[in-house]
Amino acid sequence: MEDVRDLKALQLDALKEVANIGAGHAATALSQLTHRRIMISVPQINIARLEEVPGLIGDPQEVVAAVLMHMLGDLTGRTLLLFPEPVGRQLCDMLLKRPLGTTKAFETIEQSCLKEAGNILSGAYMNALSEFMGMLLLPSVPSLVVDLSAAVLTTTYLNFGHDRDFVFCVETEFNIDAQDGLRGHFLLLPDLASLKAIFDAIRLT
Amino acid sequence: MKEVIVSVADWAAERGDGVLVTLGLGSCVAIMLHDAQARAGAMAHVLLPSISLARDISNRAKFPETAVPLLIEQLKGLGADPRRLVAKLAGGASMFGQLVTPGTIQMGERNLLAARTALRAAAIPIVRESVGGERGRSVRFHVKDGRVEIRSVGADVAVI
Repeated sequence: MEDVRDLKALQLDALKEVANIGAGHAATALSQLTHRRIMISVPQINIARLEEVPGLIGDPQEVVAAVLMHMLGDLTGRTLLLFPEPVGRQLCDMLLKRPLGTTKAFETIEQSCLKEAGNILSGAYMNALSEFMGMLLLPSVPSLVVDLSAAVLTTTYLNFGHDRDFVFCVETEFNIDAQDGLRGHFLLLPDLASLKAIFDAIRLT
Repeated sequence: MKEVIVSVADWAAERGDGVLVTLGLGSCVAIMLHDAQARAGAMAHVLLPSISLARDISNRAKFPETAVPLLIEQLKGLGADPRRLVAKLAGGASMFGQLVTPGTIQMGERNLLAARTALRAAAIPIVRESVGGERGRSVRFHVKDGRVEIRSVGADVAVI
């Protein structure tokens, strides 16, 4: 496969199913960490031109807390966990068992906390995929930035991806306590070459 | 005051009290050209350091090597003299630095090098830069006097 636009409907459905299994496990992990109900959306596959990436997820001008990790092993790519900045602060409060509204800025402890959350969520996601597809998947260390969504998304694709024309992501949105606004996005960004490995593993050709 | 938003891989040119704005530069670079006498300026938000990296190269604002000549042409149309042009650069940050493979050159750095090379080829001096680092930037370029305001999340406004 040369171009992500060549994906067939059946392949897109299969990818969504794979993502759903991963996101389900990640949501369970987040639910246990925060002692709250987590709702996840049906995964979406977003395909865009590289220059349209700023608008791929949410508002490009929104400040987000983003945890990026490499995915290594039988599949290569990245996972990106995105929270609007206020949600990131509330999540810190939940994880650190403090009253909501305590976190004012992302100091060392809060940064560490979000990276750890990224680690656990991506770990759960990748574990589920590993088991389902019979593959070895390893996460890298997490890296956190707090910046405009546009800058985060373009850098993720430009600096770490390999496709320069059309790019894609498998996105799951999750809501904490089913509350409006308390949302985050989990993005799976497999390298194009790894898609074939996924389809082979689930015997879809 | 006329504000024009320049999105990724896009360009704009203005004269007088126009302000060229680009938001959320990460590894991308904003190339800004200014003619003080004509009170005219142009900006391109370049995405990739070379046309050899993309299959579709029809958009000239996407790459420094094609964006610089494009901006010069547009500025000429606004009465600017190419010999008077000076350049400012912003962007080329290196976010998620921990995940970069040691020994590799980052896309932000490559975009900056390509922008400087393209400007040198056009004999346009670079007078100011706000580049590199780990933070994204938003840029407001006042074409009247060439002033550029740079904003980053969690930092004060800088003027170059």
